[in-house]
Amino acid sequence: MSSYRYGRPALKSSVDVQLQTAFSDGNWNTVIRLAAKRAATLKDPYYEAIKMCAESQLDGTAQKCGVLVAIDDFVKSKKTPDLDTIELYEWACRDFFDYEVEYADTLGPLRARWAKANPGSPLALQCLQACLEKWDLVSAQQIATSLDKAYANTADRRYMFWSITLTFLLSISPQCTDASRKVYSLLAVRQLERAADLTENSAKLEPTDRGLLTEEEICLYFRVLLSHGTKEEFVSRLKSPKLGAISQLKEGRKLLFCEGLNALETWGEWELIYNFCREALTFGLEGTTSPFFVCDLQIWRKFASSASKVTDSDSALSEVQAILKRYIELKDKASAMYKKNLSLALLETTFRLPATTLNPAHDNLGLTPRVVQLGLFLDQYFERLSAFDDIKGYVAELSFEEIKTLMEGVLPKLLDENADKPRKTVLHALQCKLRYLLTTCPQTLSPQTSVANGEAQKPYQCRFCTSPASLPCEGCLRTLITDASKSYQQINGDKEILDSIPRLDKDPRLDLALVMGTSLLKLSGLRPRTPDAGHSLWQDVNPGQFLQAVLLLDAQLKETHGDTELRLLLVQLYLLLGCASYAYQLWTPLDIKRTIQDSLSPLFFDRISSLSPGLFQGTRPLMEPLRSFYNHNLDDRSPVRIWDAFAAGSYTSILDMTEYDGNLRRSCTVMMTLVEERRATRCYGGKIDVEIEEHPLAENINDDTTLVNKTDYGPFPNLESVHGPPIHEYLRLGPGLSNERSHLAFLSEQYLDLLHYKPPKDYKPSKASEAALRDREYTLETLSRLSNSLTDFLHQPATPTRLTTPETTYYTVLSLLSAALLIALSTPRSDPVPKTLSLLSKSIKSAFASLRMSFFTLPHADEHTNRHLPSACLHLTEMPHLAAIRDTALAIKHSAAFVLSFHEKELARDRSGRSGLHRDVISEMKVLAELAGKALVEVKGCVHRLKEALAEAGWLDRLLGLVFAEGDGHDGNGREEDVGRVVEEVVGGRALTEEWAGKVVESWREGVKGWGMVRME
Amino acid sequence: MGKLESSPDVYRFSEHYLPWHAHITAVTVAPEARRLGIGKLLTEQLEVAADAADAWFVDLFVRVSNHKAIAFYKSMGYSVFRVVKDYYGEHSTDPTLSSEDAYDMRKPMKRDVKGEHVREDGEKHEVDPSDVW
Repeated sequence: MSSYRYGRPALKSSVDVQLQTAFSDGNWNTVIRLAAKRAATLKDPYYEAIKMCAESQLDGTAQKCGVLVAIDDFVKSKKTPDLDTIELYEWACRDFFDYEVEYADTLGPLRARWAKANPGSPLALQCLQACLEKWDLVSAQQIATSLDKAYANTADRRYMFWSITLTFLLSISPQCTDASRKVYSLLAVRQLERAADLTENSAKLEPTDRGLLTEEEICLYFRVLLSHGTKEEFVSRLKSPKLGAISQLKEGRKLLFCEGLNALETWGEWELIYNFCREALTFGLEGTTSPFFVCDLQIWRKFASSASKVTDSDSALSEVQAILKRYIELKDKASAMYKKNLSLALLETTFRLPATTLNPAHDNLGLTPRVVQLGLFLDQYFERLSAFDDIKGYVAELSFEEIKTLMEGVLPKLLDENADKPRKTVLHALQCKLRYLLTTCPQTLSPQTSVANGEAQKPYQCRFCTSPASLPCEGCLRTLITDASKSYQQINGDKEILDSIPRLDKDPRLDLALVMGTSLLKLSGLRPRTPDAGHSLWQDVNPGQFLQAVLLLDAQLKETHGDTELRLLLVQLYLLLGCASYAYQLWTPLDIKRTIQDSLSPLFFDRISSLSPGLFQGTRPLMEPLRSFYNHNLDDRSPVRIWDAFAAGSYTSILDMTEYDGNLRRSCTVMMTLVEERRATRCYGGKIDVEIEEHPLAENINDDTTLVNKTDYGPFPNLESVHGPPIHEYLRLGPGLSNERSHLAFLSEQYLDLLHYKPPKDYKPSKASEAALRDREYTLETLSRLSNSLTDFLHQPATPTRLTTPETTYYTVLSLLSAALLIALSTPRSDPVPKTLSLLSKSIKSAFASLRMSFFTLPHADEHTNRHLPSACLHLTEMPHLAAIRDTALAIKHSAAFVLSFHEKELARDRSGRSGLHRDVISEMKVLAELAGKALVEVKGCVHRLKEALAEAGWLDRLLGLVFAEGDGHDGNGREEDVGRVVEEVVGGRALTEEWAGKVVESWREGVKGWGMVRME
Repeated sequence: MGKLESSPDVYRFSEHYLPWHAHITAVTVAPEARRLGIGKLLTEQLEVAADAADAWFVDLFVRVSNHKAIAFYKSMGYSVFRVVKDYYGEHSTDPTLSSEDAYDMRKPMKRDVKGEHVREDGEKHEVDPSDVW
């Protein structure tokens, strides 16, 4: 790359030593003087450029901008400077590109012109690279086209495909005008079609021909066709004898085949998918390549599922079975990976067969071929880490009779009596996981026909334990906890098993602990925290069982501290519990790598400023890793290292990298990073450097931008079946990141920026009245825009499910405030104040009152179970609600202050008083300010009370009392005490529990301490 | 992840100069997909690429405590060429230690007919991290 990226550009070697030295030393005044002299003597414009470049390094604005004027002159005059001059100019105005100057309007066209005039020069390539790295696709496309023309029909095929790739990228980019979009789209398609035709019609293609030769070139064609062509064209080419998916597969190229199948799947073209898969898998058996080359699991899955959906599915499925049978006959030759794929394919095929084919005589309803296949699969793979995930989907499809046979007939027989203990333990852990899975499957319940023992609320009867039940069956969960704990303790008490653990795929105690933990969470009544959930965690949840789950999982983490699944689960549980500092301690060792920050950071950082702003007061900025990741990746406008993909001729990677980069720039996590940091900064009266709209990371985000949520919940343990929500939905503080919430957060920050704006101290406009009018106009326009946008996003159909109740209130109040301020500031003093203002004010008061009321009067849901729960706990888990009250109060207070200050300024400016505000407006704002002030006192009081409560003695005993509530059997049978005892045994007794309780209480104290320092003004 | 590379020409004089070779930067198989031969398959593919590019050998660095990985590479024909002292910033199993040595393991490729780039007593050859580039 050109030298300017690494420092000052080297001057031409023809430049004399004196000037060279002055330039390299940065003696700009000397450079200016010498360059001016040389320019006058030698009449070489290059010296003018050196002079201008040196001037740009001085402090004066006019001097700095001289180079921009020179560039602009070149652009307008259609003249082309030499490349050395371009390099100098680019270095001189390097700092402008992030702000005022568009590369595509300045140096991009100059570089394109130069490359067009010198396409044979190796430096033209440098111009292309420079334009690409500034993501000036218009100029880059022009340069690539020039290079393609210059190198047409040479062995270097890259230029042709760079040109096509860039034409395509331009056609889908916002940089392309609507008028040109169609032209570029057609151009990319036509060029590739011509190349495709040439390939189809040539007996043999040489590298100098302009056909499609490499796998990347062919895949590029199909990607472009998929985007800009018709479905018929795509399908027709996919079937083509030379370029089609099967012929490519025969050449050992699988990518097109896989991408083609994915496209067909989105169109629901089952017949085509079936035919393609059949042809591919039959070809595999012909023996020209390794037979297992096509044996990918996804191909088998698509084959089996398409066979079940085609018109003649019976014969299609028979065909699938026949082909699979032939592969199974060859299985011994396959590597372990393909052997497993074939076993899974057999399972998939069996589960896609119609029930009548599987069991035509309807005899032995339990031991069906599906159960037999599951048994055979587990016989080979039950010890593998992936065994549960491999079969859980299939088990959830079984009928109850099949389930019963699998669990009671097949699994216990997988190992005989003499099998070694570690294997038996692994099998039992798997059985426990499957038992848990089945508690989430509705086929294990039957509708309740009679009401007995007063348990009329339970709508079903469990088909396993026959107890009245709801989903999940609590009786089964309790039994499961007891079983799992026995197995757990058996492991701990057996040296042979303990010694064998390092040799196993996974410590079976981890699986057992997960089963016990999630069972306890379910027993506690934990449900996904949807907006209609109770206002406090403890309204829905039995504290004893919830804390037992946390304690048990925490104890397990000590045994298996390297397990990411468990750690993440605990991080979420502690956040839910309000122990943010302890959650952070668990989060840090995960050491999330840069590339996955965007998808994993929301698991800890989402809503963190509202839960525990004190965390931001640490020595290291809390969100520094995220910010640094975004700064590094989004600083340049181009996708990181895109040039490498061009140089490697990896065209599909170029398209994938561009898509990834586009999503990253629109990521909800970016918005979360900006907003959480700003909210925390405001909490402690810190200075916010830049308005959110001006922030480089929010540069291209407006109301029309769809923000993308890429949060990855994959690393969570998930024992749930598809019949219910995944576990992470039970654990979140509220709905996950979303386009709607991110936009509302962005708009709310813009509103606060408007309220908090202060002109620079040295800003003294000469015509104060005109400036005041302009400011007023700007304020009204901004308020009107924000009010409309906030209302739009709040009224989108999905929004209510994307926010917690306090969040909805906060954004609603902001929307009302922006509308109220618009009326307040735009109504002339002489006119009557529209009634809308008092209606808006009334709505604000009512929404705010309900927000406060729901927090300050949090009730116990069940006085009986929660009677040991210290009342402070009710609020400790609801700090985001408290944060919403504070934020709403401050927004009201600052809005009122903004209006009152505006009035004061107008009075001071215009002594006639005519430009001031109506007195009704003033009095309304004063009422709102007073209301907000009272609420802030309440918030402060609440934090103070929490601090006092946590300073009291006896917290450990209270927490232990909650965890192991004695004589308090909720179900009246003492079954909860049994479960409590089991947990106590697993975690190693009360001493260790006390240590854990100490950490929980300490974390609460730290959180409240952080809240104690939060400013309430 | 792997690459083909060599030390810069200016270091040809150095005893630590690395001629044209393939380097395994990282091989990671998801825990649930282990014991299926995927790591072996990936390593073999890099070896094919190394031979195709006429490389002398394939090399990699591994923690001396990573017995599973060392056994895996030995089973594939790799041997220890040298020990890089304190190559890793922290110890993977002992939190009281602030560093850990690395084995630089190599497998000769077809070009190295005489086995010039491997040695039998590599464990006895210790170098500093600054000698590794």
